[in-house]
Amino acid sequence: MRRVGLALLASVALTGCVQTRQYADVEFSPPQGDYKLLVMRPDVSVGSVTTGGLVEPRADWTEQARANFLVALKAQQSGRGGNVFIMDKRDSLAGVDPDTVAELERLHYAVASSIALHRYSGQYLPTKRNKGLDWTLGEDAVELGRRTGYDYALFLYAEDSFASTGRVGLQVLGIAGCFVGFCAPNIGGGGQFGYASLVDLRTGEVVWFNVAQASSQIAGIKFGDIRTAEGAAQMVDRLLDRMKPGRNVRRRERGQ
Amino acid sequence: MNAPLSRRALMSAGAGLAAASLAGSAEARILPRDMVPLIGAGYRAVDQDEKGLWQLMERVEEEVSGSNLLIKDPQLTNYLGTLIGNVGGPAARDMRIYLARIPEFNAIMFPTGFTVVFSGLLLRMRNEAQLAGVIAHESAHFLRKHQIRQWRDMRRKTDVFSFLAMGAGVAGGAAGIYAGDLIQLAQFGTLLSLLKYNRTLEAEADAMGVRLLAEAGYDPMAMSETWQQLIGELDLSAKYRRKRRHRDFNIFETHPSPDARMADLKISAAEVRQPGKAYDAYRGRYLAAIAQLRPTLLDDQVKLNDPGASQYIVDTLAKDGWNGLLRFNEGEIWRLRNSQSKGDEARAAQGYAAAVMYPDAPPDAWRWHGIMLLKQGRSGEARAAFARYLQMAPNAPDAALVRQMMTG
Repeated sequence: MRRVGLALLASVALTGCVQTRQYADVEFSPPQGDYKLLVMRPDVSVGSVTTGGLVEPRADWTEQARANFLVALKAQQSGRGGNVFIMDKRDSLAGVDPDTVAELERLHYAVASSIALHRYSGQYLPTKRNKGLDWTLGEDAVELGRRTGYDYALFLYAEDSFASTGRVGLQVLGIAGCFVGFCAPNIGGGGQFGYASLVDLRTGEVVWFNVAQASSQIAGIKFGDIRTAEGAAQMVDRLLDRMKPGRNVRRRERGQ
Repeated sequence: MNAPLSRRALMSAGAGLAAASLAGSAEARILPRDMVPLIGAGYRAVDQDEKGLWQLMERVEEEVSGSNLLIKDPQLTNYLGTLIGNVGGPAARDMRIYLARIPEFNAIMFPTGFTVVFSGLLLRMRNEAQLAGVIAHESAHFLRKHQIRQWRDMRRKTDVFSFLAMGAGVAGGAAGIYAGDLIQLAQFGTLLSLLKYNRTLEAEADAMGVRLLAEAGYDPMAMSETWQQLIGELDLSAKYRRKRRHRDFNIFETHPSPDARMADLKISAAEVRQPGKAYDAYRGRYLAAIAQLRPTLLDDQVKLNDPGASQYIVDTLAKDGWNGLLRFNEGEIWRLRNSQSKGDEARAAQGYAAAVMYPDAPPDAWRWHGIMLLKQGRSGEARAAFARYLQMAPNAPDAALVRQMMTG
């Protein structure tokens, strides 16, 4: 019995994790001083994990998380000195029609998918080796910068899900099974995932990209909750707080 | 520890279970009269799971409505809106319809009551009744709450499966039996029953669609005609590719087989038709509505380079009378396939020559007719054809080239 208990503890310790992984343009230095930042409408969703493992979207939780995420984002950015505007709708940018915003969001989605595939999912491209982050949104982004006067655009995505009672029950059964020799201690269920992508509107390039993940493989154990004010602040912090400069910039700093 | 249940006994029990769910797939026809709408006008999501789905779909609709794939011609959009108003039952005023430029036979209904019709559907329909039939089918998905029912079915079955699998594992562990095989079998059974539920919902939408169509005064037989056309198209497309249309009923199919649907739709249509009542197909109205778009629809299809399907579509539309546009596209089908051994060039030339006999021949028919004549060494006639082309399209991008061909 004691052995099983120890094994369980070990699996809990090993399988739960909070991870962030960022990439930056080799010449990237985090925006400082009097920069103007445009935050595109954050894409936030929250769901519940059913017993069978499907994620069911929850309207009330999503509303809550969206509101808290915006508040947390404003608080986080106000501490950084920049001049920030956060869009909560596609048409909240004066002088730019929502279709143009939508086009840019779709373009960014395609580029971000490519970054996810070739930087995070192991499908590395030989042409991008040792180049840090080498993706661009091109002229469309530059045009938006010219028209609005913003230096950067930030794209944000965050999702969170919670194990339902049934899922937790299933997990309990899986752990209980360990005592009779059928062990399923980590069926998983629920967790956070998000990414942040910073685009330099003067060049159109994606200069910094960060993915944050917080999940446990044991249904019912959580590493944050973006429905709450603290949880949303924690997620914003995981996504945006420790922005590292690009490789060449770091080398020069070290050389000095 | 002794095992009261042998592994073999468990296996055969599981096989029996799976077989039972398979036997259920020889579905009986769903009767149109049983298909009452489950929602009224102005319906909004009530339950928590449905609210979540609706919220997600609001974003989807935002994306769809702003997509640059949409054909946004206001007259046509208006026309499609009227159609869904005719066959949408109690939710007629709540549904939205979007037309996407995708050359495929398809239409999708989303859980919140907006539908996306593919341009390939408008190409294939011979009259308004056929198009209204497809829209009625899609409306029925909304009126019968199919998406949320499907989601609930999936959730319930995966829930049950998870608990059974875990329970079987734990029980097996306690009894000292390995339950892996059994669990796999149950998983297979769950999968099959999910697909079967999907097919049942499609059959429901067919039955209700027929009813909505007849109630709106359209000939309900139009829906089975649509399926007949689809079967013919698939057959001919396969034949030209030297393949056979996949016809065996497959337990993995999400939709009932086209043949079965056509047969059921025919019987259902006869059932809902009321003696003495006049039903119309409204062909003239339909042709007038899509007149501007039809050249694009045909061009998109022809450029798929699926000659069997394209020829079938052209022939089907020509059942209501040949014209210059259809003949021109017939020529294009074979010019694009361009098989020397099968004499495609001669077939193309025939198409263009036939097209220019009609007053509605597009300028390009004259252009290609001229080129074909030139290739046959009939330069005098070619010059006349080119002259006609330049007269119809004086600002064509290749006008200078054509002028040079006339002198050469």
